[in-house]
Amino acid sequence: MSDMPDFSNVDSGSSSTAIKIHEVKSGDSLSKIAKQEYGDAAKWPLIFEANKDVLKDPNKIFPGQKLKIPPLA
Amino acid sequence: MLSRFRHIAIATAAVVVLVACGKKEPPVAPAPAPAPVPAPAPAPAQVGVTVSSVTLGRAVGADKKVTASTETFAKGDTIYASVDTSGSGSATLSARWTYSKDGKTVPVKEDTATISATGPATTEFHISKPDGWPVGTYQVEVATDGKTAVGRSFKVH
Repeated sequence: MSDMPDFSNVDSGSSSTAIKIHEVKSGDSLSKIAKQEYGDAAKWPLIFEANKDVLKDPNKIFPGQKLKIPPLA
Repeated sequence: MLSRFRHIAIATAAVVVLVACGKKEPPVAPAPAPAPVPAPAPAPAQVGVTVSSVTLGRAVGADKKVTASTETFAKGDTIYASVDTSGSGSATLSARWTYSKDGKTVPVKEDTATISATGPATTEFHISKPDGWPVGTYQVEVATDGKTAVGRSFKVH
Protein backbone atom coordinates (compact mmCIF):
# COMPACT_ATOMS: atom_id res chain seq x y z
CA MET A 1 0.00 0.00 0.00
CA SER A 2 1.43 3.38 -1.05
CA ASP A 3 1.81 6.14 1.48
CA MET A 4 1.74 8.72 -1.28
CA PRO A 5 -1.26 11.04 -1.49
CA ASP A 6 -4.03 10.60 -4.01
CA PHE A 7 -4.05 13.27 -6.68
CA SER A 8 -6.79 11.81 -8.85
CA ASN A 9 -9.20 14.63 -8.04
CA VAL A 10 -6.89 17.46 -9.07
CA ASP A 11 -8.54 19.98 -11.34
CA SER A 12 -6.49 21.84 -13.93
CA GLY A 13 -6.74 24.24 -16.79
CA SER A 14 -4.91 26.78 -18.87
CA SER A 15 -5.43 29.98 -20.79
CA SER A 16 -3.24 32.21 -22.89
CA THR A 17 -2.85 35.66 -24.32
CA ALA A 18 -2.09 33.89 -27.61
CA ILE A 19 -4.66 32.07 -29.68
CA LYS A 20 -4.97 28.53 -28.41
CA ILE A 21 -5.58 25.65 -30.75
CA HIS A 22 -8.10 23.01 -29.70
CA GLU A 23 -8.25 19.73 -31.56
CA VAL A 24 -11.80 18.45 -31.61
CA LYS A 25 -12.30 15.06 -30.00
CA SER A 26 -15.16 12.67 -30.33
CA GLY A 27 -18.07 13.91 -28.22
CA ASP A 28 -16.96 17.55 -28.27
CA SER A 29 -19.38 20.40 -28.89
CA LEU A 30 -18.65 24.11 -29.02
CA SER A 31 -20.33 24.64 -25.66
CA LYS A 32 -18.30 21.81 -24.14
CA ILE A 33 -15.11 23.31 -25.53
CA ALA A 34 -16.12 26.75 -24.26
CA LYS A 35 -16.71 25.28 -20.81
CA GLN A 36 -13.30 23.62 -20.92
CA GLU A 37 -11.41 26.60 -22.28
CA TYR A 38 -13.25 29.52 -20.69
CA GLY A 39 -15.04 27.87 -17.80
CA ASP A 40 -18.31 29.07 -19.31
CA ALA A 41 -20.28 27.06 -21.87
CA ALA A 42 -22.27 30.15 -22.87
CA LYS A 43 -19.18 31.62 -24.50
CA TRP A 44 -19.32 29.13 -27.40
CA PRO A 45 -20.24 31.89 -29.93
CA LEU A 46 -16.73 33.34 -29.45
CA ILE A 47 -15.27 30.11 -30.73
CA PHE A 48 -17.77 29.88 -33.58
CA GLU A 49 -17.02 33.45 -34.69
CA ALA A 50 -13.27 32.81 -34.62
CA ASN A 51 -13.65 29.72 -36.80
CA LYS A 52 -16.21 30.78 -39.38
CA ASP A 53 -13.66 30.04 -42.08
CA VAL A 54 -13.97 26.35 -41.28
CA LEU A 55 -17.32 26.12 -39.49
CA LYS A 56 -20.61 26.78 -41.27
CA ASP A 57 -22.86 25.28 -38.62
CA PRO A 58 -22.04 25.50 -34.90
CA ASN A 59 -23.60 22.09 -34.40
CA LYS A 60 -21.30 20.40 -36.89
CA ILE A 61 -17.75 19.95 -35.72
CA PHE A 62 -15.65 16.91 -36.40
CA PRO A 63 -12.91 15.02 -34.58
CA GLY A 64 -9.52 16.15 -35.75
CA GLN A 65 -10.60 19.68 -36.60
CA LYS A 66 -8.29 22.29 -35.11
CA LEU A 67 -10.25 25.24 -33.79
CA LYS A 68 -8.82 28.59 -32.81
CA ILE A 69 -9.67 29.58 -29.24
CA PRO A 70 -9.35 33.34 -29.02
CA PRO A 71 -8.24 34.83 -25.72
CA LEU A 72 -10.98 36.47 -23.70
CA ALA A 73 -10.83 40.25 -23.95
CA MET B 1 49.76 103.32 -91.36
CA LEU B 2 47.43 103.63 -88.44
CA SER B 3 44.77 101.80 -90.38
CA ARG B 4 47.19 98.98 -91.07
CA PHE B 5 47.98 98.54 -87.40
CA ARG B 6 44.28 98.59 -86.66
CA HIS B 7 43.70 95.78 -89.14
CA ILE B 8 46.53 93.73 -87.65
CA ALA B 9 45.18 94.26 -84.17
CA ILE B 10 41.69 93.25 -85.19
CA ALA B 11 42.98 90.18 -87.01
CA THR B 12 45.10 89.18 -84.04
CA ALA B 13 42.14 89.59 -81.68
CA ALA B 14 39.97 87.53 -83.97
CA VAL B 15 42.54 84.75 -84.03
CA VAL B 16 42.77 84.82 -80.22
CA VAL B 17 38.99 84.67 -79.96
CA LEU B 18 38.77 81.82 -82.46
CA VAL B 19 41.49 79.88 -80.68
CA ALA B 20 39.80 80.50 -77.36
CA CYS B 21 36.46 79.36 -78.68
CA GLY B 22 37.94 76.32 -80.28
CA LYS B 23 39.75 75.21 -77.17
CA LYS B 24 38.18 72.13 -75.88
CA GLU B 25 38.11 71.58 -72.15
CA PRO B 26 38.65 68.02 -71.16
CA PRO B 27 35.27 66.48 -70.45
CA VAL B 28 34.40 66.55 -66.82
CA ALA B 29 33.88 63.02 -65.75
CA PRO B 30 30.62 62.63 -63.91
CA ALA B 31 31.04 61.99 -60.26
CA PRO B 32 30.97 58.29 -59.72
CA ALA B 33 27.73 57.12 -58.27
CA PRO B 34 28.19 56.31 -54.62
CA ALA B 35 28.48 52.66 -53.99
CA PRO B 36 25.17 51.38 -52.79
CA VAL B 37 25.14 51.07 -49.05
CA PRO B 38 24.13 47.54 -48.22
CA ALA B 39 20.83 47.50 -46.38
CA PRO B 40 21.20 46.39 -42.79
CA ALA B 41 20.50 42.74 -42.49
CA PRO B 42 17.08 42.20 -41.01
CA ALA B 43 17.08 40.79 -37.53
CA PRO B 44 16.72 37.08 -37.85
CA ALA B 45 13.14 36.08 -37.21
CA GLN B 46 12.88 33.91 -34.18
CA VAL B 47 11.55 30.69 -35.47
CA GLY B 48 9.53 28.72 -33.02
CA VAL B 49 8.33 29.44 -29.54
CA THR B 50 10.68 29.36 -26.56
CA VAL B 51 9.94 29.66 -22.87
CA SER B 52 11.57 32.71 -21.35
CA SER B 53 10.30 32.45 -17.77
CA VAL B 54 7.94 30.63 -15.44
CA THR B 55 6.46 32.37 -12.40
CA LEU B 56 4.29 30.84 -9.68
CA GLY B 57 1.47 32.52 -7.80
CA ARG B 58 -2.03 32.22 -6.36
CA ALA B 59 -3.80 34.30 -9.00
CA VAL B 60 -3.30 35.75 -12.46
CA GLY B 61 -4.56 38.91 -14.09
CA ALA B 62 -6.10 39.39 -17.51
CA ASP B 63 -2.57 39.41 -18.91
CA LYS B 64 -2.13 35.86 -17.54
CA LYS B 65 0.76 36.98 -15.34
CA VAL B 66 0.70 36.14 -11.65
CA THR B 67 -0.39 39.05 -9.51
CA ALA B 68 2.07 38.15 -6.74
CA SER B 69 4.92 35.72 -7.16
CA THR B 70 5.36 33.08 -4.47
CA GLU B 71 6.77 29.61 -4.04
CA THR B 72 4.91 28.84 -0.85
CA PHE B 73 1.25 27.88 -0.88
CA ALA B 74 -1.52 26.95 1.54
CA LYS B 75 -3.55 23.74 1.33
CA GLY B 76 -6.56 25.40 -0.24
CA ASP B 77 -4.76 27.50 -2.84
CA THR B 78 -5.14 27.29 -6.57
CA ILE B 79 -1.60 27.22 -7.89
CA TYR B 80 -0.80 29.09 -11.07
CA ALA B 81 2.26 28.81 -13.30
CA SER B 82 2.52 31.76 -15.63
CA VAL B 83 4.68 30.96 -18.65
CA ASP B 84 6.18 33.76 -20.72
CA THR B 85 7.17 32.79 -24.24
CA SER B 86 8.88 34.53 -27.11
CA GLY B 87 8.92 33.77 -30.81
CA SER B 88 6.11 32.98 -33.16
CA GLY B 89 4.43 29.97 -34.62
CA SER B 90 2.55 27.04 -33.23
CA ALA B 91 3.84 25.22 -30.20
CA THR B 92 2.50 22.83 -27.62
CA LEU B 93 3.32 23.89 -24.09
CA SER B 94 3.01 21.36 -21.34
CA ALA B 95 3.05 21.68 -17.59
CA ARG B 96 3.91 18.56 -15.62
CA TRP B 97 3.16 18.89 -11.90
CA THR B 98 4.76 16.44 -9.47
CA TYR B 99 4.90 15.82 -5.72
CA SER B 100 7.99 14.56 -3.93
CA LYS B 101 8.24 12.83 -0.57
CA ASP B 102 10.99 10.72 0.97
CA GLY B 103 12.90 10.67 -2.28
CA LYS B 104 9.91 9.47 -4.27
CA THR B 105 8.18 11.55 -6.91
CA VAL B 106 4.64 10.98 -8.14
CA PRO B 107 2.72 12.76 -10.88
CA VAL B 108 0.05 15.21 -9.80
CA LYS B 109 -1.29 16.42 -13.14
CA GLU B 110 -0.13 17.15 -16.67
CA ASP B 111 -1.72 19.66 -18.96
CA THR B 112 -0.97 20.83 -22.46
CA ALA B 113 -1.90 23.94 -24.39
CA THR B 114 -1.25 24.38 -28.08
CA ILE B 115 -0.84 28.03 -28.96
CA SER B 116 -0.41 29.97 -32.17
CA ALA B 117 1.79 32.87 -31.18
CA THR B 118 2.60 35.94 -33.24
CA GLY B 119 5.07 37.30 -30.70
CA PRO B 120 5.62 37.38 -26.97
CA ALA B 121 2.78 35.68 -25.14
CA THR B 122 1.87 34.51 -21.68
CA THR B 123 0.11 31.23 -20.97
CA GLU B 124 -1.06 30.19 -17.53
CA PHE B 125 -1.53 26.68 -16.19
CA HIS B 126 -3.33 26.12 -12.92
CA ILE B 127 -4.20 23.28 -10.59
CA SER B 128 -6.48 22.97 -7.59
CA LYS B 129 -7.50 20.17 -5.28
CA PRO B 130 -10.97 20.26 -3.70
CA ASP B 131 -9.87 18.49 -0.53
CA GLY B 132 -6.66 20.47 -0.17
CA TRP B 133 -3.03 19.91 -1.07
CA PRO B 134 -0.95 17.50 0.97
CA VAL B 135 1.89 19.29 2.72
CA GLY B 136 5.19 18.80 0.96
CA THR B 137 7.40 19.73 -1.93
CA TYR B 138 6.12 20.00 -5.46
CA GLN B 139 7.57 20.84 -8.83
CA VAL B 140 6.24 22.01 -12.17
CA GLU B 141 8.21 21.40 -15.35
CA VAL B 142 7.23 23.38 -18.39
CA ALA B 143 8.14 22.00 -21.79
CA THR B 144 7.81 23.27 -25.33
CA ASP B 145 7.00 20.61 -27.89
CA GLY B 146 8.14 17.95 -25.46
CA LYS B 147 11.48 19.56 -24.61
CA THR B 148 11.66 20.55 -20.97
CA ALA B 149 12.50 24.20 -20.71
CA VAL B 150 12.05 25.40 -17.16
CA GLY B 151 11.30 23.78 -13.81
CA ARG B 152 10.09 25.44 -10.63
CA SER B 153 9.83 23.96 -7.13
CA PHE B 154 7.34 25.08 -4.51
CA LYS B 155 6.08 24.03 -1.14
CA VAL B 156 2.70 23.59 0.46
CA HIS B 157 2.68 24.30 4.21
